[in-house]
Amino acid sequence: MMDIFHLHYHHRLEDICAAFGPGEMVGLVGPNGAGKSTLLRAMAGVLRPTGGVVQVMGEAIHAREPRWRARRVAYLPQFLPDDIPFTVREFVEMGRYSYAPQGVLSRTDMAAVDEALAVMGLVEHEDAPLTHLSGGERQRAAIARCLAQGAPILLLDEPIASLDIHYQLDILARLRALAEDGRLVIIALHHLELALAYCQRTICLHRGRLVADGSPGEVFTPALLRDVFRVDARPFRDPHSGALRLSVSAAIPHTPE
Amino acid sequence: MTRRRAWAFGALLFALFASAALEIGLGPVSIPFWQIPGDTWAYFAGHRALDAVVVGAIRWPRLAVAVLAGSALALSGTVLQAILRNPMADPGVIGVSSGGALGAVIAVATGLSARSVAATPLLAFASGLAVAAVIYRLATSARRTDVYRLLLAGVALSSLCSAVITAILDLSPLEEMQQMMFWLFGGLDGSNWTEAAMLAGVNAVALTAFLRLSFAYDILTTGEEHAEAVGVDVERIKRASLAVAALIVSVAVSTTGVISFVGLIVPHILRRLIGANHRPLLAASALGGGVLLTLSDLVGRTVVQPAELNVGIVTSCLGVPFFLYLLYRQRRGRDIGL
Repeated sequence: MMDIFHLHYHHRLEDICAAFGPGEMVGLVGPNGAGKSTLLRAMAGVLRPTGGVVQVMGEAIHAREPRWRARRVAYLPQFLPDDIPFTVREFVEMGRYSYAPQGVLSRTDMAAVDEALAVMGLVEHEDAPLTHLSGGERQRAAIARCLAQGAPILLLDEPIASLDIHYQLDILARLRALAEDGRLVIIALHHLELALAYCQRTICLHRGRLVADGSPGEVFTPALLRDVFRVDARPFRDPHSGALRLSVSAAIPHTPE
Repeated sequence: MTRRRAWAFGALLFALFASAALEIGLGPVSIPFWQIPGDTWAYFAGHRALDAVVVGAIRWPRLAVAVLAGSALALSGTVLQAILRNPMADPGVIGVSSGGALGAVIAVATGLSARSVAATPLLAFASGLAVAAVIYRLATSARRTDVYRLLLAGVALSSLCSAVITAILDLSPLEEMQQMMFWLFGGLDGSNWTEAAMLAGVNAVALTAFLRLSFAYDILTTGEEHAEAVGVDVERIKRASLAVAALIVSVAVSTTGVISFVGLIVPHILRRLIGANHRPLLAASALGGGVLLTLSDLVGRTVVQPAELNVGIVTSCLGVPFFLYLLYRQRRGRDIGL
């Protein structure tokens, strides 16, 4: 569905190769400055790579016009301004731009917006101004806008970074349901434990390189946690849930190389 | 919001009608309102009685130019504020107006304007567009437009253009200089039907273009990155909008001279009344700009009778306090209404 071949972006991304299929929920992890946002932006076609190709359904994404991209890849940037002067419904309608560039929505467009609002549980808030929503609800509205795009691929840059624990789990569960529905969902995540709990596949970036790609259990080895995330940590089975978790004991002091 | 919007449009139409009646009726020769339709008819039927000539050859074209130039300024202000995502943007503030005025003054000083009516607006457009392009390039790096760099570059280039205009005026014969003075502080004296028709033409083109892009302007309020994510070709829309805004402002400036702050004030007030949705906002700005410039001209023509103040002086007297108020609010970190 999405294939990346030898992707470079100046020195911030180096020789990234990966392939993703439908139905996958992929966690993109890495320490600050590893290049997670840059990679997502290149995958979304918003950033033009200095080398390599990102293919969506077999076509190079950077060769196509913005509206072609937006119909296939929905990308949610990390920061959403908090003073957007529109209602939830108006905001979600913006996801239909690639089909209705003049803002005149057809019945199909309306149906896509209705469905996106329903899936994200925002029907009762649809006429509320975005500024009246809580942080978690705003983030749900942003994901609803991505869904309204009708794209089979969702790329989300830290969609739960500033949310409380309830909304973190709520949004991840909704995203996993979308993946089970056949979409490809790739999210940049800082919470390694949540990547373990919700993603079937984790890719890890370190200094612009892809250093690990596999199930979270395979990726989060004590060695990787030490070398990449600079923490003393080891995975363990949670005795209550049986799920894989991380026991993090200490940050490793910075040592010059 | 829908109800409020309907009221706002009703109020704008009423204000336009009332200010138009006053603009035509008031002056050295005062024409009672009920005589305006009759005198207008008489003028176009070929009668040349004093009242008919005053109404048909002086006041109507002046009103038309005031309304259309006001519309042009307010429309371009609305669009500049949308594409630069900053409520302080205005064709005067970012230097497009002075750039246009410089082109117009060059056209007159070189005698090109005497050869063709199109020379002044064309040269004004070329020079307004050039200034807009330079400012835009100076303020944009890595596909991001920095608003403070934009405003500072605008201030710098504005004063450069004003300096060159003043130099050209200084070197011109006295009568010509007096004739060209109004480009520094816009005035509506001597407006004629040719100017009104030209303005009407470019305004119609610009309004059509802007309305087609109104959904993209709405989306741009969520940030450029988000706009690109949903498929808006941000760079292309910004460049096209800037060029069209430069076109209408330059044509307006080539007929009236530099009129500042209309493009700043009108979208601001209307955004509070109409909301941020650009389709109704653009339509309302076209009306509101016309109303504001007509009312400003009325003030300029009546406060110091029998002398007249240039309309640009009146809009600056209104606009500077407004601009400072916006700065004050921005300093307090409050929402600035974009």
